[in-house]
Amino acid sequence: MKSIQISFVVNGKAVTLSSAPNRTLLEILRDDLGLTGAKDACGGEGECGACTVIMDGAAINACLVFIGQADGSSVETIEGLEDNGNLHPLQRTFVEAGAVQCGYCTPGVIMASKALLDENPNPSNVEIREGLSGNLCRCTGYVKIVEAVRMAAEEISHA
Amino acid sequence: MPSKTITLGKSELRKDAWAKATGAAQYVADIKHEDLRYGAVVRSTVHHGRLVAVDASAAQEAPGVLRVITGGDIPGEKAFGALVHDQPPLVVDLIRHLGEPIAVVIAETKAAAERAAKLVEVEYEAIEPVHDPQEAVAPEAPRLYTEGNLISHYEIKDGDVASGFAEADIVLEDTFSVPLVSPAYLETENAVARWNADDTLTVWVSSQHPFTDQLEIAATLGIPAEKVQVKSAVIGGAFGGKEDASIAILAALAAWAVKGTVKLVNSRQESFWAHPKRHPAQIELKLGAKKDGTFVALQAKAHVDTGAFASYGPAVGIILTETLAGSYRVPNVDLETVVAYTNNPLAGAMRGFGSPQSHFAIESMVDMLAVELGLDTVEVRRKNILRVGDKMFTGVIVNETANSLPECLSHAEEVLKRFEAIEPTAGKVAGSGLALVMQSMGLGAKVPDDSTQGLEWLPDGSVAVHLGSPDLGQGLTMIAEQIAAETLELPYEQVKSIDLDTWRSPNGNVTCASRMTYMVGNALVDAAEQLKSQMLAQAARLLNQPQDRLTYQGGEVVTAGGERIAVKEIVSRAADDGIALQSEATFSFPYPEETTPQHLPIGMPHVLFCFGAQIARVEVDPELGTVDVTHLAAVHDVGRVISRPGVEGQIEGGAAMGVGYALFESMDLKPDGGWVDNFTEYLIPTSKDMPPSFENIILEIPEESGPFGAKGIGEVTVPPTAPAVANAVYDAIGVRVKSLPLTPEKLIHIRSNAE
Amino acid sequence: MLEFDFLQPQSLAELMVALDETGGSILAGGTDVIPRMRSNLFSASTLVDVSKIGELSFIEERAGEIVIGALTTHAELMNSEVLRSANPALVDAAASVGCNQTRQRGTLGGNLANASPAADTVPPLLVFDAQVRLVSSDSERTLPLIDFFVGPGKTRLGPAEVIHTVSFPRLTGAWGAAFQKIGKRSGMAIAVVSAAAAVVLDETGKVSDARLALGSVAPTVVRSPKAESILQGQQPTPKLIKAAAQASAGDISPISDVRSTAEYRRHAATVLAERAFQQAVDQAVSLVGA
Repeated sequence: MKSIQISFVVNGKAVTLSSAPNRTLLEILRDDLGLTGAKDACGGEGECGACTVIMDGAAINACLVFIGQADGSSVETIEGLEDNGNLHPLQRTFVEAGAVQCGYCTPGVIMASKALLDENPNPSNVEIREGLSGNLCRCTGYVKIVEAVRMAAEEISHA
Repeated sequence: MPSKTITLGKSELRKDAWAKATGAAQYVADIKHEDLRYGAVVRSTVHHGRLVAVDASAAQEAPGVLRVITGGDIPGEKAFGALVHDQPPLVVDLIRHLGEPIAVVIAETKAAAERAAKLVEVEYEAIEPVHDPQEAVAPEAPRLYTEGNLISHYEIKDGDVASGFAEADIVLEDTFSVPLVSPAYLETENAVARWNADDTLTVWVSSQHPFTDQLEIAATLGIPAEKVQVKSAVIGGAFGGKEDASIAILAALAAWAVKGTVKLVNSRQESFWAHPKRHPAQIELKLGAKKDGTFVALQAKAHVDTGAFASYGPAVGIILTETLAGSYRVPNVDLETVVAYTNNPLAGAMRGFGSPQSHFAIESMVDMLAVELGLDTVEVRRKNILRVGDKMFTGVIVNETANSLPECLSHAEEVLKRFEAIEPTAGKVAGSGLALVMQSMGLGAKVPDDSTQGLEWLPDGSVAVHLGSPDLGQGLTMIAEQIAAETLELPYEQVKSIDLDTWRSPNGNVTCASRMTYMVGNALVDAAEQLKSQMLAQAARLLNQPQDRLTYQGGEVVTAGGERIAVKEIVSRAADDGIALQSEATFSFPYPEETTPQHLPIGMPHVLFCFGAQIARVEVDPELGTVDVTHLAAVHDVGRVISRPGVEGQIEGGAAMGVGYALFESMDLKPDGGWVDNFTEYLIPTSKDMPPSFENIILEIPEESGPFGAKGIGEVTVPPTAPAVANAVYDAIGVRVKSLPLTPEKLIHIRSNAE
Repeated sequence: MLEFDFLQPQSLAELMVALDETGGSILAGGTDVIPRMRSNLFSASTLVDVSKIGELSFIEERAGEIVIGALTTHAELMNSEVLRSANPALVDAAASVGCNQTRQRGTLGGNLANASPAADTVPPLLVFDAQVRLVSSDSERTLPLIDFFVGPGKTRLGPAEVIHTVSFPRLTGAWGAAFQKIGKRSGMAIAVVSAAAAVVLDETGKVSDARLALGSVAPTVVRSPKAESILQGQQPTPKLIKAAAQASAGDISPISDVRSTAEYRRHAATVLAERAFQQAVDQAVSLVGA
């Protein structure tokens, strides 16, 4: 197994590294870059969304991307959402709406929500539920998550 | 009770939520360690068998491998367990379930450990497995233990069922079954253990009972418990499944073996095999009633499958038995429960703890009875609900909290009317259904249940809560902080919890049994009162005034002359004198002798209860048999709301688990001999599976013994959902499904058989 | 995770060279390959990542023919205006694949190459008589898509051969097409049974062409000639549609597995077939004489 060279941008910073090709974007983010916000909850099957990050504008499961496939891409993780010390509205509304319980799904859900709002700034509840259907949460029953996304959407559209 | 509160009942923001929303929160698997090694567990590939030999030589030689340990390497106790020491951390002799740990490979990298784990050769002598609890207790069944497969047998009788049935106008008899289901928290079990230079051990583990882990680790390693330090990190959900020391013990053994730091993280598949799940059960019910719907007799026999190990199975059997009659008074009962070992992966504690099983049976049957008698389902319930002062079949006299039951029914009646008025979507048939719930709080009589919590006034005037029980993600820290703040008359922001560490924190006992608000809250109210006294004593000393002339008011000490001194000044001056303001209080779950019947086995009875009702509206596709839950309303009495979003979050999350239990969750044995053990096949509800309309109706009927009148909410939210959905499905299409989950396959099969 | 060498050609030409030189296996969106590698269900000494080959990602209409590049993602399929007008069943099917995250990565070519009988995009393509174009460094061939599948996970794809494009003719006149699917839950659902229908009506409202494909009820997605022939040349009354749907039972061989039972699949297939036909007919009827 030959290692490969990867250059990509993570949260606005250029990263170049060498890796075995059988490692995933999730492993690199967590183990090499110390970005542990994205979680592995389903064992790398793309069934839970806990590792959701935004790659080239699209929400994706970082466990389903071999690191070589991220070469040349731009990746945004939960750690990169803060802007000059200001939290993203979603980060705030998730706390304010009580949408965070154990929190293990939260970074993935927030990133999936961000991708949703980037594309559709004013989604209906049905669209929010559809947009987040790849993110499992076992604590909240999703009620307050949907509420948090709606609150953030309103805040963003009034900003 | 103060009419104006500082923080109680408010929508405070959880302090831990900020770190969780920014990705900064550190779960066990996120914490960085120096020289971290990784463990990979070799697991059995048979359901039942004798372990003949383990050949780890190839693995031991593999690159990066430090050590391979097997059952023979365990220096201390060879088995652990909450109630019965029957669970080997690593198999020594008999393999009792698929996926049981046989060896741990410890290597420099995770990849090296996983690669080498595949090189460990295990030789088995397969034994015929038994997967069904009724078959397991038959005399000819293969035995998991020399004493046989029966672990618990309970029978509670009251009145005389034979004469009860004799006077009944109608007797219904049926069998209900519920599957093995998983708590399926998103964070799988994990632990990091570090062997320290001074021959002590530090273990970080995602666990509900760090103090139990400490004892079980020490016993396995044969070292004094004081040498083991267990620390909590942020926990990614537990729901009962993290009341199991397995992963902590394995990590500890690995760290001890290599005298280093070792991390173990269960994969999702390992998690399904390894952690305690909700018991599958078969419940035979026979209910006799008068024509007017009054219950006269109930007979039940439940077979409960605890899998390969007891875990909390015997205790689950108790609550299942105690809730077989649901929230109803029945003068004549004979309720029997058999808990059996099988070669299935273990079941143990899981949210509801026996009560989701019993409620599916009794709440389905109550509706069946109403249908048979042509009576309204609300009316039948109203006629039979427990009333304050009723003597239950356990002998317990129901206290004032039973006043919530008629209220639950009035709300349910109103909600049902609204639901029934909603037009179904084209092509769908709508139906609505109701279920009541009675969930016990606490561990049961004669089970020692003490919770110690601590407080400390810091020199900056803020207060630290030394929480002795971990927050599993449900928000225990927020509740503890609010209760401490309220008692100390301080703003919520000024009170902050400290992470649990068994070397430093008080022993708050396990986080379970819907009793955390109650236990932790009561202990903290006491601790806060002590802290206030200490404050006044210090103020008296420092101000040189008699203590009885000083009063404490909202963060200030007020002198007789009306001078107000900020507490911060007193704390820091006391600190200068080397005096710390610290308090600790222990609350013991009350089982007053005069009101707690003593004739029952240990763990029985439970004396405090949470009541509630859930009402579901479903739309059924009559041709496909698919069920959409379109509306859920949940009525729950919490005694007193401490945090409104906290309570709502518990209800919404519990009902979501109930929806999964109702519609699709089932950890089945597949035809290929493997288990449904991944999230592709074991389905939990997604955002699209939850009803678009969710309504919370929260009642506050104070529990006299609770902090500010509060009681539990964690578990009571789960049991009513599935029977409410089942009753709604029957209301929609007239098909009664008596086994969970309510799949389209069953609906269509039952209907086509009936045609 | 299994070990492999990793190649990342930037063009089709480079891909051909890479495949010839290494005999490697193709990695596209990874939504299926990666979990399968993790579960030891798939291995390869070399993985050739095609995700950077932009020239295979497109949806175009060429002289009445819809041509879709193999690396078009499900998200692109479901958002395509061309497809919405030419094959709404395919748009609906793509929208029902997995969840947003997997639709962003998973590709049409990958969905076909997996050859799952539950593949959502296949029934809507089969009812449009889609063709698949396969290329290798020294050959290219076009097969009817239905002949491409051999069994679960098995296709006629040769070594060093790749799926290039999928194409189907645009239907004209009074036509309709529909996709129906039932899963075990609402979100992230794998098909327990799926059905796609396409119907063309003549100017008198009679069926000039009826096509039905059913998923998850046989080793591959199947067409149902028995159902189709019942409608052929007839007025598509609800009664006849029901009869046709019921006749489809003769063309399927469902099994019981972890997701459902043979009994239920047989039942649901007729229900979904009827609904797909009816929905397609309703659309077509609205276009008769238009």
